Amino acid sequence: MQAANLSINGVLGHSFLVIGLVASIFGALSLAYGTRVGDRRLLRSAPNYAWLSGATAVAAFATMIHALVTRDFSLAYVQQVGSRSTPALYNVTAAWSALEGSILLWLTVLAGYTTVIMRKYRKRLDDPLIAWALVVMFVVTAFFFLLSFGPADAFRSGAPGVTDGPGPNPLLQNHVLVLFHPPILYLGYVGFTVPFAFAIAALITGRVGEGWLLVTRRWALFAWGFLTVGIILGGWWSYEVLGWSGVWAWDPVENASFLPWLTGTAYLHSVLVQERRGMLRVWNLSLLIATFALTILGTFLTRSGVIKSVHAFSNSTIGPFLLAFFGVVVVVSLSLIAWRGDRLRSPGAIDSPISREGAFLANNVLFTVFAFVVLLGTVFPLIVEALQDRQIAVGPPFFDELSMPIGIALLFLMAVAPVLPWRKASGELLRERLFVPAWCGVLALLASILVGANGLAPLLAFGLAGFAAGAAGRQVALATRRQGWRGFVGRANGGMIVHLGVILVAVALTASNSYTHVGEFTMQQAQPVTFSGHTFELQQVTAFTTPRSKGLQAEISIDGGQAYSPAITRYTTMGTDIGTPSVRTGFANDIFLTLEKAANAGATEVQVKIFIKPLIVWLWIGGALMAIGTVLAGFPGRRRNPLLPTSADVVGLPVVGLPVVGLPVVGTPVPVEEQSASV
Amino acid sequence: MTDKWKQLKQWPGWVVLGVVAVALLAFGSIRESGPRTSEERVEEISKQLACPICDGESVFESRNTASVAIRIQIKADVSAGAMGDDDIISKVAQVYGARVLLVPQATGIDALVWALPVAALVCAVAGLIVVFRRWKRAADTVPTADDRALVETAIREGLDES
Repeated sequence: MQAANLSINGVLGHSFLVIGLVASIFGALSLAYGTRVGDRRLLRSAPNYAWLSGATAVAAFATMIHALVTRDFSLAYVQQVGSRSTPALYNVTAAWSALEGSILLWLTVLAGYTTVIMRKYRKRLDDPLIAWALVVMFVVTAFFFLLSFGPADAFRSGAPGVTDGPGPNPLLQNHVLVLFHPPILYLGYVGFTVPFAFAIAALITGRVGEGWLLVTRRWALFAWGFLTVGIILGGWWSYEVLGWSGVWAWDPVENASFLPWLTGTAYLHSVLVQERRGMLRVWNLSLLIATFALTILGTFLTRSGVIKSVHAFSNSTIGPFLLAFFGVVVVVSLSLIAWRGDRLRSPGAIDSPISREGAFLANNVLFTVFAFVVLLGTVFPLIVEALQDRQIAVGPPFFDELSMPIGIALLFLMAVAPVLPWRKASGELLRERLFVPAWCGVLALLASILVGANGLAPLLAFGLAGFAAGAAGRQVALATRRQGWRGFVGRANGGMIVHLGVILVAVALTASNSYTHVGEFTMQQAQPVTFSGHTFELQQVTAFTTPRSKGLQAEISIDGGQAYSPAITRYTTMGTDIGTPSVRTGFANDIFLTLEKAANAGATEVQVKIFIKPLIVWLWIGGALMAIGTVLAGFPGRRRNPLLPTSADVVGLPVVGLPVVGLPVVGTPVPVEEQSASV
Repeated sequence: MTDKWKQLKQWPGWVVLGVVAVALLAFGSIRESGPRTSEERVEEISKQLACPICDGESVFESRNTASVAIRIQIKADVSAGAMGDDDIISKVAQVYGARVLLVPQATGIDALVWALPVAALVCAVAGLIVVFRRWKRAADTVPTADDRALVETAIREGLDES
């Protein structure tokens, strides 16, 4: 029976991958050649290849799940991450708990995107922009099919006679979030392939105006939204599972997901300048190319074994493939930009730095420098080792120190930018619009001091957070007053909801990083311990056993109420002790308990660490608000008022948008308030 | 009331706002939060040291035996009270090497990791200033008589069509 499984899963998996690889190559060739020679028959055949590559990727992934759930230990991957004692849920999530499976997940998501894009644009394949974008999607998909078939082969046969395995890393089998965090993160990470593909297609076809931006803006937003949610869920998982009470460790793998988020966020802002003013064409293309290239570079750094990471998988031969692909992406993209240099020169100019577009430029500088800091800190140990054959580490204190001033500057921009009009703002207008938001900032500062906050940096952050919240709230209030419920939807209005979410995240991170209290206690039964205004009492120590682990948990009551149970689990196959925290969540603060030492079941004394973490729950609420805001931003907002001086020319209306630099724009006067609110 | 509110939003209101904000920041910045507990000192120190044998974890996060041993040593040094945080970190680095320092040193080639971000920011801001000046020069161009005629024609045509 086992031998039959071997042939079915391994052979089926390989077969699906080969068919998918061939389909992707044929898809790319048929679109490229069909567009080149104008052969409609070839173009019409392309959707079949997309369906085939999508279906085979899904089938290959389903085969892997089947192999894991049925414990097919004839496959090397199942031997590595499978186990007979692992519960079914974690046998499914084991699919992405190591290198080969995670590349297979990447491939499945990517082939899915290619199929969805093909489905959406199947009737416009004779448009070269669409056709070339799909060629790029097919080429990237083919590359990942190749990886899955070659250096990251999940269907390779394992050593004979193996009947059980260790299961996934213990940390990957004790929280349900492991089911959601990686797939959602990949939906975002891989999703940036779509705008990248359209950017390359725009360069190839020479249609570098604003048309391709309009096609891809929702895809970029979609990818960004999923990446955001994936990162937040990763932080939540870390908080709930790892015993150090933190949400972000600046680990290279975390940085690899954060880098495209930073450049993607910069793009979502600067693209508005191009749509509105036709400017920053090269910059926007560069940001999209950088975002995609960073996903490949990040994967190379963390999956090839060149950088040590708590998330890193074992060394593999995948590194040279990813590095070569990264090189191809960068060289091809830069060559295309150089080739199309003449068409990329933007008309017009930014009139004043004190304007919406000026603020977006400043925002882009900050996000780009932020990305540079994160990339530099991540690769610097490699550089030093290469140059001086010496090992050094660049850890969280470095990233915290440099990200703090950047974060504060970004909060300031978030406060000012939403109220700025396009083109130019007068001092009087700024004083008028920023007055109430600025007082919101002062009130936030006062409230922070009244509840005991101190320190210049955290207070600045709280004050600016209040300022930014006031500005975002003002925009939402104005929009809803004018448009009713539609004041919540559309890019500008949804973007303000996202800003409110970011502000909550910033406040939660600042408070929890600056004011966490921690104490370690030897706790005895019937002898309550008081710490930071709370009373803790050990009730009892109990033992638990599962087929894969055994452990001890201490039941500790907080303030005479419900008991919480931090535990230490020993996974029998790995012999590793894993601490599982227990958290009492509250709006003001969380009480985070970890069991440090316990002798045995029934012991009357334990060693416990207590963390009092202020406002941390607002990090998750802020993340949810960001997700909601992204969805709202994806809905079509109110159509832009064509009477606006900054709108494109509209025939038949008494407005003339003049391309001649320096000439006044003539048109029906529009109240300044309206100008700023309709982005 | 509306006029008063409008007046308030001009300079007097902003001056009051600035004074209040600076006073609050100054008060909050110099206010002490009380002495750190020994656990908080241990946490702060152990967050600046890398686990010497595991991948990508600090001594604070890691449950590895080497990290546990370093934490015990840090606790003992903190309890003894004779050494500052930097002295305790240096002591651990002497045993395990500079590779356990999570804060890069500001000497030699290591200093580049601090200097390059500052250089990048300076270059980016300088680039922005140059670009804005160029745009301003372009915007300051005086329109010619032909330009004005073109505009007037375009306006006329626009009005006729409407």
